[in-house]
Amino acid sequence: MPADSVLPPAESVATPEVLPPPEKHVGVGGAIHGAVPWIDKSGAVGGVFRAIRSLFGGMKITGGYLMRPSTVVTQQYPENRETLKLPDRFRAQLAFNHDDNGYHKCTLCRICEEACPNVSIIITGREKPAVSKKELDSFVWRLDSCTFCNTCVIVCPFNVLRFDGTFESSVYDRRLLSYTLNQYAGPVASVLEKLEDPEARKAAMEARDPYSGAAIIAALVEKQKATKIAERAAREAAKAARVAAKAAAAAAAAQPEAPPEAENVG
Amino acid sequence: MSWPVKTIAERTGDLLPGSPWTASVYVLLTILAVTAFMTVTGLVLIYAERKIAAHFQCRLGPMRVGWHGVLQTIADALKLLLKEDIVPRDADALLHILAPVLSFAGMLLVMIALPMSPSLQVADMNIGVLYVTAVSGLGVLGILLGGWSSNNKWSLLGAMRAGAQIISYEVSATLALLVVVLFSGTLQLSGIVQSQEAGWWIWRAHGCGIVAFAIFLIAGTAEINRTPFDLAEGESELTAGFHTEYSGLRFSFFFLSEFLNMFVLAAMTSTLFLGGWMPLHIGHFAVFNGVMDIIPPGLWFTLKTTAMIFLIMWFRWTFPRLRVDQLMRLEWKILLPIGFVNLFVSAACVVTGCYFFAR
Repeated sequence: MPADSVLPPAESVATPEVLPPPEKHVGVGGAIHGAVPWIDKSGAVGGVFRAIRSLFGGMKITGGYLMRPSTVVTQQYPENRETLKLPDRFRAQLAFNHDDNGYHKCTLCRICEEACPNVSIIITGREKPAVSKKELDSFVWRLDSCTFCNTCVIVCPFNVLRFDGTFESSVYDRRLLSYTLNQYAGPVASVLEKLEDPEARKAAMEARDPYSGAAIIAALVEKQKATKIAERAAREAAKAARVAAKAAAAAAAAQPEAPPEAENVG
Repeated sequence: MSWPVKTIAERTGDLLPGSPWTASVYVLLTILAVTAFMTVTGLVLIYAERKIAAHFQCRLGPMRVGWHGVLQTIADALKLLLKEDIVPRDADALLHILAPVLSFAGMLLVMIALPMSPSLQVADMNIGVLYVTAVSGLGVLGILLGGWSSNNKWSLLGAMRAGAQIISYEVSATLALLVVVLFSGTLQLSGIVQSQEAGWWIWRAHGCGIVAFAIFLIAGTAEINRTPFDLAEGESELTAGFHTEYSGLRFSFFFLSEFLNMFVLAAMTSTLFLGGWMPLHIGHFAVFNGVMDIIPPGLWFTLKTTAMIFLIMWFRWTFPRLRVDQLMRLEWKILLPIGFVNLFVSAACVVTGCYFFAR
């Protein structure tokens, strides 16, 4: 369904003949004088007919909605997660704008931090005298105290911040609602080294949204661990089989000498 | 008459001389069927209301339980049955328990007289219209008792509003009803239906029919406390009005009687003005009438009632709620004078025989 069809056609919304003309009741300079403006004193009969006409106008609008199922705006959320349509200006999470090389332009000017009305942005950084610039350590945004007023996005002089529509941000622990926006979300190098497959390493480094399940790295490490355990188990099984075969051979060799009453003793 | 009416009461009477046991089994089966009919109608109406309301408001309505949510009302009914039945500590326990029963009884007693088809009517009284008007007043008693016995100011306010509203609008509804009684010359409901064999009263009585129809529909909507006139419940003002303190099965009784009242109103409107189970006839135009007679009378009744129910639902999801003073002004200053004038004009029409297909 295209986004345009969500809105009803213009003619079904606007029924100008139904609305009273505003000029009639508004005096010079827009001041209301005389009777209450929305009670029509022009005549009881005329008022009744106008009321009836406006009732039919309202019924025309609602009837139009009923007749055209394309006007339904409800989204069947968990089912249509793939095709979900969100408004462009929907504010769900604060995010950094990155350029093509993956760099952001935050200069640590702290204007957003100053502008934030409820201290939802906490920036830490330090001077870098060699290049006379500042270096950003962490740009923390707290979803739990944010009111989504958009002020930080407006005031940012370098267009670093944006609100994007990744709205599935519910968690079971409040502490997880603090986001470090400039952080690399993937695994650290020491963890990456444990992955032997280069393809798996690449997959672990890919940018991903936070709600597509458990972290890939954990899954990959688990998988690797599982294969290792399976291999070890297979090795041990083979070893046990070998030992058992040897024992059986020894027992077969010893069989003729064994006394027949040994079973009764056991 | 080409439409012989045989009511369930008459059939029971025929059985009685043969064997009283057969008759009582027949009565028991009838009671069972009526109960099932009311329950199913209530559930269907609630589901229809939710779906239609949703689409009036660009929504989808229930979609999860069953195909397009068809089992939603059953799930809700089961939930209500399992809910704890609470009587508030300071409430008048006896009246609190009695109120939903009275409200339900008012609706049930009206249902007795409804002519659904020539063969499907529980009892056909010769004072049917009077009986319906009198008995439907029991519903007000239930609402007033419910509000009073809850010992809660919002419930009481809602109940008092409902009482004032229903009793006021009863006047206009009765005046509109009298017009049909004048034209058909009988108080018997099946007689009124049969008097429309040449055409429905809504158009046969010149303008009087359509004016009476409009007045009856408006007043009836007010009597069943539906939205343009839902001050008694006024969700945004009184939480739930008179049934705020009700829960579980008793709340569902109020709820069910509210929805079945809508059915009763739609059925009464179609019986009085749209010919009830009588097929669409135009005078003595035999070919057209013959074609229309192919559709059985029960289906005609269902179609007309459904159309009226849809219209009432359409009202509910379009019109804004009235204020108390506007409500009273509409009744006493607008509807009542129009109703009186309409009654006199229609009386003149009946006396002079000045209406379509007068015999």
